[in-house]
Amino acid sequence: MFAFMLCPLILIVWLSFFKDAILYFPPSGYTVSWYVRAWENAAFANGFLFSLQLAALSAVIGVVLGVLAALGIARFRFAGSRSVNTLLLSPLLIPGIVAGIAIYLFYLQAENTLDRDIVGTFGGLVLAHVCLTIPWTVRLVTAGMAGLDGSIEEAARNLGASGRVAFMRITLPMLRPSIVAAALFSFVVSFENLELSLSLVGPGMTTLPIAIMQYLEFNLDPTIAAVSAVQILLLGIIMLVTDRYVKLSQVV
Amino acid sequence: MAQVSIQNLKKQFGSSVAVSDFSLDIAEGELVAFLGPSGCGKTTTLRMIAGFIQPTAGSIFIGDKDVTNIPVHKRNTGMVFQRYALFPHMTVAENVAFGLEMHKVPKADRDDAIRRALDMVRMTALRDRYPRQLSGGQQQRVAIARALAIQPLVFLLDEPLSNLDAKLRGEVREEIRALQQRLGLTTIFVTHDQEEALAIADRMAIMHDGKVQQVGTPDALYERPANLFVADFLGKMNFFQGKTQAEGRFVSEQGTAIVVPGATTAVQVGVRPERVYLSAAPTSRVNSFAGTIESAVYLGSLVDVRVALPSGEKVLSQCVNIGEGSGKWAPGTPCHVSFEAADCVAFNQ
Amino acid sequence: MSTISQTSSRGKALGTGLAFPASLVVFLIILIPIVQLFRYSFNHFDPAEMMQSAFTFENYIKFFSDPYYRNIFFTTLWVAAVCTVLALVLGFPVAYFMAKTQSRYKSLFVILLVFPLLVGNVVRAAGWMVALGNAGVVNSILMGLGLIDQPLRMMYTPTAVVIGTTAVVMPYLILTLQSVLEGIDFSVEEAAQNLGANFFTTFRRIVVPIAAPGVAAGTMLVFILCMNAYATPVLLGGSGITMMAPAVYGQITRASNWPFGAALALILVVATLLIALCSNWLIHRRYVKTMGS
Repeated sequence: MFAFMLCPLILIVWLSFFKDAILYFPPSGYTVSWYVRAWENAAFANGFLFSLQLAALSAVIGVVLGVLAALGIARFRFAGSRSVNTLLLSPLLIPGIVAGIAIYLFYLQAENTLDRDIVGTFGGLVLAHVCLTIPWTVRLVTAGMAGLDGSIEEAARNLGASGRVAFMRITLPMLRPSIVAAALFSFVVSFENLELSLSLVGPGMTTLPIAIMQYLEFNLDPTIAAVSAVQILLLGIIMLVTDRYVKLSQVV
Repeated sequence: MAQVSIQNLKKQFGSSVAVSDFSLDIAEGELVAFLGPSGCGKTTTLRMIAGFIQPTAGSIFIGDKDVTNIPVHKRNTGMVFQRYALFPHMTVAENVAFGLEMHKVPKADRDDAIRRALDMVRMTALRDRYPRQLSGGQQQRVAIARALAIQPLVFLLDEPLSNLDAKLRGEVREEIRALQQRLGLTTIFVTHDQEEALAIADRMAIMHDGKVQQVGTPDALYERPANLFVADFLGKMNFFQGKTQAEGRFVSEQGTAIVVPGATTAVQVGVRPERVYLSAAPTSRVNSFAGTIESAVYLGSLVDVRVALPSGEKVLSQCVNIGEGSGKWAPGTPCHVSFEAADCVAFNQ
Repeated sequence: MSTISQTSSRGKALGTGLAFPASLVVFLIILIPIVQLFRYSFNHFDPAEMMQSAFTFENYIKFFSDPYYRNIFFTTLWVAAVCTVLALVLGFPVAYFMAKTQSRYKSLFVILLVFPLLVGNVVRAAGWMVALGNAGVVNSILMGLGLIDQPLRMMYTPTAVVIGTTAVVMPYLILTLQSVLEGIDFSVEEAAQNLGANFFTTFRRIVVPIAAPGVAAGTMLVFILCMNAYATPVLLGGSGITMMAPAVYGQITRASNWPFGAALALILVVATLLIALCSNWLIHRRYVKTMGS
């Protein structure tokens, strides 16, 4: 079963080293030249860098907003906090494509009203991706807060720390693993996203998954395999790092 | 009900030995308690008897049958688990019915059997409730009914009372004992609580580090412990270290002379605190020493008085509180402690 | 937060304030657009203007009356159902094994499971293309072994989509099932065995009923994922099979028929949620009444 789920990834990495330009088994030889070719291809190189920037920015903004929100919801039970929680998690329920086109159409409308470009701008794309990162952050951080032993903070206050000091010096550091995990996870989710980004990219900018997809619709060769392998590698490393901070099995 | 014979049972996990060379014969209708600190192997042994763990060596006989290689569900032992393990998705009655169904009791007889089992534990009125609607004590009683309904050959209990609060523990303990005696159930009761074991066992096996330290009736183990571990684990004991100078005469390292009948090679002598008598004047007992009261711990029905002897040794005397007033045990008061020679236990370690 | 208690009115105000920015973003970027999309589905399509303001059900009627679109819907439904069932059947043993295993490699297994999820659907679909193509691994092996002389046509078929989608959702299901199974107190299973139930009876009469609600929730999640799939059907199915999510995208971007595309989108979302909630409710009725919520 594990083989079944992992074999596509193994195959792609394997393919990226094939010597022949056309897919053929067994391969006549191996080479790493495709990786170089891939980097020289503007679409892939730019796509990679662009996705990096997009994911990094979306992760940072999303984590900041998400952590604040999670704190607000989990600690202070204000009226409607449960509905707010549902609202913040709702993007996870909507199919990516539907969300993507909905936002696209909304932006068009907003463009008319506000008389500025939104569709196809970096800002517009980031805003949409932030809606991806907020739910995961909220989920991870509220889970982290639920797992905290409340009596530790109480012990700090008993020893003389005020509420604020206890929070900043004791609770927040205890949440660090969850926050870091949220950041990394958000980065990954944003980087690999296809459906949301499809409708919102503009001329001159494309994300790596979109570039890969567009290429794949026409052919399958070691070049694209190399590009995919790079994505696998990058995201795999981030995932391993995330696992240090938070048990991934609980999250998904 | 059947007798149980455990022969040279051993269980090893990797390089650590959980149970080594455990042998014991349990008579039909007898209640044997396995007692010991956590990690001593008592639960492992019980689970081997039930069939959840395969022994590394040795064999288990229930009745005349070697069950060592027989799977759990065919052994017909009824087990009560520490956390009750009731089926959460079934009512009380359905929980009890389950075992009957597995043992292929005909449907017509099942209802009778369920009713009898629930009557035995006084849970008939709650037969349609679900486990989550019951208190801990009630759940435990259902667990007992469920195990007994199948009329097992052996009744196994794995620390059944440790999750109940103190008052309830005593009540349920008495109920289990009464039930066991009435039905003549061959029973193995695992516990780390010595009071429980002493109260209900016909015989006890004390275990430590996977080995059986001593097997016998509660009073035999308490009055004549075979080794230091048993002496110290069951109740409290005053120990004197030293040498035997002549037969029956022991001198502690600090110079206290104690008469211990029959001791020849003893290097330690013990006497129970409740056999150390506290008095203002010396008594006619052969072991009698003057001392000063150091401290007294008031325990309600008892008072634990610590007395310091001139040699520096400390002796614990447990006095029954008959209302003489706390002045009797004020620290600094001179007093005498004495104990009979026959109450001393000699140890060769 | 120095002396603000968690339930004081100052606390509540602070809490609201903390949650406000995130809520604003999600509200504005997700909620409003979806509502707007819903509204658009009632508009009229005009090839010249793309969309005219109106209130009509014509888009919905068109969808349900045109066999082409009905077919897309039912194909999507069918694929999602098949994949969900396959994932359940294939994944349950894995989940059971992982729940029961004491091996030190357990967390390694979990990582291996999560890894494909994070890497992205596009890349995974690419991998399947390598496997299933005419010159791909499977064909090469079969031909090499002499079992066939013509390559099997596997790409751009519904089968490929089913295989790919099942592989995509299985990790989700396995992880969910694993945590459900781990949540069952093991001594309950032991008690059943002690009372005379063999392994299979214990599984059937004890494990399954207790696990049922969790399993239902996990299956619902997987079903939703299958219904919403985009990259996998497009890359592995091509023109051999059309599913709802690609159809939605096509209507909006290629045909520029916004109202109709919006209608498709809404139908997809509503149908998915309805089916998932119904089956969840059914399972709850059967099993949950005894366990509380």
